[in-house]
Amino acid sequence: MAIIKKTDEEELLIAHKELAFQKEEKEKLAGELIIARKELAFQKEEKGKRAAELGIANIELAYQDDEKGKRAAELGIANIELAFQDEEKEKRAAELGIANIELAFQDDEKGKRAAELGIANKELAFQNEEKEKRAAELSIANKELAFQNDEKEKRAAELGIANKELLFQNEEKEKRAAELGIANKELLFQNEEKEKRAAELGIANEELLFQNEEKEKRAAELGIANKELAFQNDEKEKRAAELSIANEELAFQNEDKEKRAAELIIANKELSFQNEEKEKRAAELIIANKELAFQNEEKEKRAAELIIANKELLAFTYISSHDLQEPLRKIQTFVTIILENENENLSENGKYNFQRMQLAAGRMQLLIDDLLAFSRVATTELKFEKTELTVIIEEVKTELKDTIQEKHATIEAIEIGSANIIAFQFRQLMYNLISNALKFSNPDIASHIIIDSKIVKGDKLNNEKLSPEKNYCHITVTDNGIGFEPQFSDRIFEVFQKLHGKEVYTGTGIGLAIVKKIVENHNGIITATSELSKGARFDIYIPAA
Amino acid sequence: MNEKQLNILLADDDKDDRLFFSMALEALTIPTMLATVVDGEKLMAYLSENTQQLPDVIFLDLNMPRKNGFECLSEIKLNPKLNQLPVIIFSTSFEQEVVNMLYKNGAKYFIRKPSEFLQFKKIIQQTFTLISQENRQKPSRENFVLTVQTS
Repeated sequence: MAIIKKTDEEELLIAHKELAFQKEEKEKLAGELIIARKELAFQKEEKGKRAAELGIANIELAYQDDEKGKRAAELGIANIELAFQDEEKEKRAAELGIANIELAFQDDEKGKRAAELGIANKELAFQNEEKEKRAAELSIANKELAFQNDEKEKRAAELGIANKELLFQNEEKEKRAAELGIANKELLFQNEEKEKRAAELGIANEELLFQNEEKEKRAAELGIANKELAFQNDEKEKRAAELSIANEELAFQNEDKEKRAAELIIANKELSFQNEEKEKRAAELIIANKELAFQNEEKEKRAAELIIANKELLAFTYISSHDLQEPLRKIQTFVTIILENENENLSENGKYNFQRMQLAAGRMQLLIDDLLAFSRVATTELKFEKTELTVIIEEVKTELKDTIQEKHATIEAIEIGSANIIAFQFRQLMYNLISNALKFSNPDIASHIIIDSKIVKGDKLNNEKLSPEKNYCHITVTDNGIGFEPQFSDRIFEVFQKLHGKEVYTGTGIGLAIVKKIVENHNGIITATSELSKGARFDIYIPAA
Repeated sequence: MNEKQLNILLADDDKDDRLFFSMALEALTIPTMLATVVDGEKLMAYLSENTQQLPDVIFLDLNMPRKNGFECLSEIKLNPKLNQLPVIIFSTSFEQEVVNMLYKNGAKYFIRKPSEFLQFKKIIQQTFTLISQENRQKPSRENFVLTVQTS
């Protein structure tokens, strides 16, 4: 056990020594702790300072972000305004397009109007009334054109004002673009400043690397924000370039508009010149129309005077012939009374002279009768009625009964129908033709007169005076008398034209003239065909009802 | 001829024609009594004054002053007291339409005054014969115009 004791004592000494060493160590560690604590307190202070700096930097960044937002909003507004101005420009350009189309249309209209004027001039040569109407229309059209020109000038003035406005707007845009340029430069400067600050922050961050994950995140965020700002700057530059292109385009469009406006002014001058020309032409036309109207009036007066004179002449013929009958008849009656009552008192020569007087008076009576018939045919009213030709022929035959007997004549009527005629005139016509045939009968053979009537279409009749589409009543009177030479076939229808001396055949040369007049009153034609001593044929064509 | 005397009224403004007429009557064998008036007005006055002794026949000229033959004919035919009187138109001129109208208006006959005196006498003789033959009978249109019969 002693040993054990020694050992225990030794062990106690060692333990004491160890405790003293541990006490020293503890004191050393406490001193180190105090130092370490002091160092940590310093580091804590440093971290607090750094955090305060970071807060300030963050506040600055937030302010810069606000500024960027405002700037972006301003850019948005500027862009909207630019888009609105572009729309306005397009509208204005569309309006100009419409105005140009309208001008082209009006030019076309004027061309048409000029063509119409040309046609109107040609027409004026023939139709006066038409011309007067056209002239009135032209003066109205000219007033309208003048009105349209006024309108065009107003439009041109409006366009001029619109161009000035556009110019003003372009200037405004250029000012705004310049302002944007300055704003961009400022932004660039601020960005540079920010980069510098970011670089400083980077250094600070490297120092803080171990301690703060949040700081690293913030730094990464700042990097991204910077990239974004750089991108935004690029975009702004692109936008500025686009704006300058847009401005150039606007300037080009303005030039174009000015050219167009100048062209419009020239076109307006030309139009006003053309209008003046048209007005002159219209004035000339009015004068020409007045002259034509005056000439027409004169012609109409002259024609009316001629018609009156003609009627007066025929009336005079009728009245004078009519009133000549009475004294003539009395002369004739007194001659016959003398010849009857004073027969034994008269010498043979005296009787002969009285007989010659009677003959002359007789011829005068014949002449007066024929003249009366002729003027009556020319002056009386034309009353058409459907009449049986056979009735008329029978009446004439009764009237000529004595002569027919005397000449041993036969009158043959074939296929006689009815016709739309002036009955009493047609009776006269048939009377003249039949009595003519009897008068110029061949003394060696019995007179034979054939009357025929048919309805025939014009194109079958071989006569150019007849219209081929119409139906005609074709009446022929054929005889076997002495006839006449073919060269007289027209002349026999003229007044007072005779082929024989009055000693051979009595007559006045009026009978066939009356016939022709009557046929003409029926809108028809008559022809005579004959050869000497081979009879004669008269062809009458009157329109069938 | 022993008939009673024929009373004739001639209305004609022409002196020569009245002379011819009376000369012709003198030459005829029929006993006649001729009264003459020189215009239409006097004719109508004569007829209204002599209603008790009206003429047997009237010869009426057409062209007369103051009242012409047409007017006289119409008045006579519209008057119930006179409308049975035979009126014979005696005229220088001959126009178909005029003749038609006279026939329609009730004239008895139409005579165109002949230019030869012999025919003048003949036509008056013929007329008297016709008048005495068929009283009150209106002749047909074709027999209305009297012409000298060649015999």
